[in-house]
Amino acid sequence: MDLGSFFLQHALSTIVILPIIAAVIIAFLPDREPLCRALALIFSLNILLNVFVIIFSKFDPTLTSLQYVESYRWFGDTIRFKLGVDGLSVSMVLLMAILLPITIIASEPIAKQKPKFYYSMLMLVTTSVIGVFVAQDLFLFFLFWELELIPMYFLIAIWGGKNRAYASMKFLIYTFVAGALMFAAVLLLYFGSHSTTFDMEVLANLSKTLPHSFKFACFVLFFLCFIIKLPSFPFHTWLPDAHVEAPTPVSMLLAGILLKMGGYGLYRICAGFFPTILAELGVLILILATVNIVGGAVACLVQDDMKKIIAYSSVSHMGFVLLGLVSLTAAGFSGGIFQMFSHGLISAALFMLVGTLYERTHTRNVADYGGMTKYMPKCFYIFILAAMANLALPALSGFVGESLVFYGAFSSPFFTELSTGLHFNFGQICTMFCSIGVILTAGYMLLLLKKVFMGPENTKWAGLTDLRTSELVVLGTLLGLVVLYGVYPMALTKIYEPSSDALNQSAQIARLTDDQT
Amino acid sequence: MSENILQNAWLIAALPLISALLIIFFFNFSRVISATLSIGAVAYGLIHSLLVLNAVYQNPERVLEVNIPWIVAGNFKLFVGYLVDPLCAMMLVVVTAVSLFVQIYTHGYMKEDPGYSRFYSYLSLFTFSMLGLVFSTNLFQSYIFWELVGVCSFLLIGFWWYKPSAASACVKAFVVNRIGDAGLLVGILILYFVSVSYWDNHTTLAFSELKNVMKVLVDGNVLPVVGVLSITTMALLILMGPMAKSAQFPLHIWLPDAMEGPTPISALIHAATMVAAGVYLIARCYPIYVSSDVAMNIVAWIGAITAIFSASIALSQYDIKRTLAYSTCSQLGLMVMALGLGAYSAGLFHLMTHAFFKAMLFLCSGSVIIACHHEQDMREMGGLKKHMPITSLCCLIGVLAISGFPLLSGFWSKDMIIAAAWEHNKTLFVIASITAFMTAFYMFRLYFMTFSGKYRGHAHPHECTPAITTPLIALAIPSIFIGFLGSPLIPGGDKFSAFIHYGEHHAHHEWGFGVFMHELLSIQGLVPLFTFIVGTVLAYMVYVKGLGLNNFFKDKLTPLYKGSFNKWYIDEAYYGVLNKVIMPSYQYLWKIIDRVIIDGFFVNGSAFVASFVGGGLRYIETGRGQFYALVMFASVLVGVVVSLFRFK
Repeated sequence: MDLGSFFLQHALSTIVILPIIAAVIIAFLPDREPLCRALALIFSLNILLNVFVIIFSKFDPTLTSLQYVESYRWFGDTIRFKLGVDGLSVSMVLLMAILLPITIIASEPIAKQKPKFYYSMLMLVTTSVIGVFVAQDLFLFFLFWELELIPMYFLIAIWGGKNRAYASMKFLIYTFVAGALMFAAVLLLYFGSHSTTFDMEVLANLSKTLPHSFKFACFVLFFLCFIIKLPSFPFHTWLPDAHVEAPTPVSMLLAGILLKMGGYGLYRICAGFFPTILAELGVLILILATVNIVGGAVACLVQDDMKKIIAYSSVSHMGFVLLGLVSLTAAGFSGGIFQMFSHGLISAALFMLVGTLYERTHTRNVADYGGMTKYMPKCFYIFILAAMANLALPALSGFVGESLVFYGAFSSPFFTELSTGLHFNFGQICTMFCSIGVILTAGYMLLLLKKVFMGPENTKWAGLTDLRTSELVVLGTLLGLVVLYGVYPMALTKIYEPSSDALNQSAQIARLTDDQT
Repeated sequence: MSENILQNAWLIAALPLISALLIIFFFNFSRVISATLSIGAVAYGLIHSLLVLNAVYQNPERVLEVNIPWIVAGNFKLFVGYLVDPLCAMMLVVVTAVSLFVQIYTHGYMKEDPGYSRFYSYLSLFTFSMLGLVFSTNLFQSYIFWELVGVCSFLLIGFWWYKPSAASACVKAFVVNRIGDAGLLVGILILYFVSVSYWDNHTTLAFSELKNVMKVLVDGNVLPVVGVLSITTMALLILMGPMAKSAQFPLHIWLPDAMEGPTPISALIHAATMVAAGVYLIARCYPIYVSSDVAMNIVAWIGAITAIFSASIALSQYDIKRTLAYSTCSQLGLMVMALGLGAYSAGLFHLMTHAFFKAMLFLCSGSVIIACHHEQDMREMGGLKKHMPITSLCCLIGVLAISGFPLLSGFWSKDMIIAAAWEHNKTLFVIASITAFMTAFYMFRLYFMTFSGKYRGHAHPHECTPAITTPLIALAIPSIFIGFLGSPLIPGGDKFSAFIHYGEHHAHHEWGFGVFMHELLSIQGLVPLFTFIVGTVLAYMVYVKGLGLNNFFKDKLTPLYKGSFNKWYIDEAYYGVLNKVIMPSYQYLWKIIDRVIIDGFFVNGSAFVASFVGGGLRYIETGRGQFYALVMFASVLVGVVVSLFRFK
């Protein structure tokens, strides 16, 4: 058999297994940073290439069914090693594949200490994240989900800042609780539906026929697990702590892709399996989304620590993912997914920028800065671009997701239905409230910009060097994509839109049939 | 030929973008290339715009609209594209003309600045964004470019980032504009929501469809005209955008501070083009406003209040640029008022004339500032007429034009607005007339304090280079003559209203000297003339002849004087609320919720409970099987008993 078609038949298992191979090889290398980084970079670029091949060769975005399906017996026929992608998962895999080489380039100053271990752990994270996005067996999904925990814990606990023990333990406990909730949900769903398989496609259909109490319990367990990861109020406090202590590249990965596992789970499982319960709890989720968007922005305004500002801004932006989800419209779904992708790029860029400043000055306190433009002009202009992207300036990718969510949520028929009997449309009131978040976002991003880069310079930093080439490459790539997807959003929506539309339609159908019975 | 010109109109906007990108990425090392690219792009734009204007003027019925889908999700579609109609053609010429002259002027003004290339790239970027806004076919696209002009304004106000005042001003400008944008966004969302099925087979939110949509909404009783969710609230939310961008009370506070930016920016963005975008958007959304009388009234009153309020502040300012900034607010207020009164063409006519003479006045102030070695306080100026003949002459033309000297451009447009006020609302007529009086007074105050008398400063003022004076002269010409477009003195009468109108009746088809005299000698013609004369003479008496009116105000009417001098304490009130109420409450909220309740109580509390329980369990987990069995048995027993009682 020729190699090309062999690859295409095993494309997904290749990208899941490649990082493990890389991790093993790195473990046998001499403990020298450039060597390990080079190897990791080669593997990561290979993965990126593979993902491109997956998307641009045989992948047909107009099909809403799974593609590149691989299914192997594992524990009998009950638990199978089943992989497959649709538009939604492939765009998340793409995000991971883009972020990985960038993270590795950004790791140079961090990984000087124990490079072998560091890059191996990074590669294990990759496997687990890609695995979560491509797994089509619920048990496998759970396993990949839990696998992420261990390398991530080490990455924060070993290469983190002063308070890393507390932060990594907090991260571990939160994520572990989330995993336990999911495990309970998986078992409940499996035994409750009397299924003979953990296949997600089968379970997605079976779950809709479950008795209401089962569905409700499963949904709540899954939902709690995902919003801990997302993170959402009131389970968000692990995020600022983890970000503050995590080294820059790990922060980039954490904000860039690990949070999206939660968002992906919400769309794939909460909306895909239990749309009726999603609608039933609509009001609560709507309120949660509003609290996230506005509350996250309020929290940003009162922080002194640059990393905390970016971390809370993640909470605020992930609120749009929830809002898009609960609006149950095509535009809302599409906007939520776009928001995940674009936030992955923007928050990675922002953490990189904050990291470069921290690396030079060893302080994250905003008040220690001022007039940095004098010494780091390039950093200033790139920071402006990233800040503008974060506050959803049109023509940058943040705007696309947010406006889709706003339009979707405001015109959502579901919200109108939700408010029957009321004199006002509760969903619209919440959406209007969320528009305050847009003002606050502008406030905290620009105040940060002003306090760090503008005004009279702090002469303490006179000797600082501007961005290095490697940093420019990282930021240039990320922000180049931000501009690309902001100006021409169809480049991304083309890939996932039919899938998200189908997801929305199946949710609508499920709700209709549920109403009739 | 003319079809070709229209079809390729997008080039007018595209070239400045290309030049901006080229400067940023490739030519930022070279001043000559940067300036050439930037000026070349906009010069081409001016020529093309004039051709477009000509083509549209020949055939005003031919409206070109091109739409490209920008994003699609299910049934939901958003478009971007370009629209060429009379209003757009007029704005194109205004924007490119002012931009061209300002960019030439920039070469003289910024020649010693290290950020020269960067400045040109921002200017090009702004020109692109502004033209994109003018070309917008629908409200969504307007919102895109609306924000982009805002960010260009942010970048340019903060151009001298090392000045703390500039740093605060640019953040303030952006955030205040964001408040307006949030209102605009919600307004657009309401419009989209109430007409969601209409857009299935039309370009979403297109301006050209607004008339039909409003007809459907009103006739079909989809949306009440007045109420909580009504056409009025929608119109007023959309109005928040223009209020912020066009610096209308109470969102005007950013504009005077924006004067911290370099003067060419003040002329281009904060006098002629971007701040007028609000008026432009109201004009584009006019079908929404005319559907609701309440909304129209509120628009008119906001405009009138802004006009008189800002004029009253301008009376006592000493900073030359701030005086002009408040004057800009006041004039924008007049335009908004005109639109609110239903005088569509009068408002837009004033937009056009104002763009030219106010840009020129700002450029004059820049010229004076350079000559006085970056002194902006008018008390340190005076007697500059001798040293700077060209600047002082141009400034005099601008002052006469804005105060309404007969036959200059401002005279025609302001008279149109005051006449409309006389026709529709006598109270507003009084307010507009008082504003006109104040305008004449403070503008001549500015002129006399700067150019006549003796020089009071310490620099050695001198006339500036041709790069600065040429744009002044070039802008002086339209400042004098462009008003004739809307006058009854040219054959065929009021050409402007005939070209750009919103179906309002206009009796300006008659023309000739007799018509002009007849209009001038009516009340609505004589009052503005009278206010002009009184304002001018008073300013002359006070600032040239030394009449002690100033001291009278300072000593006898201290509260009034202080109020005006301190901008009626609006800034203080806002900052007080922000720093004393909003920020502390946020701080408090965050501390309570995140630190105390979640982290303190739940997270660390559960850790404490776990360790406590673990510590307690040590005594129970003895390792003896019998004990465990006993506990199990006891629990089962308790469970059974409880369930027996419950299910009895």
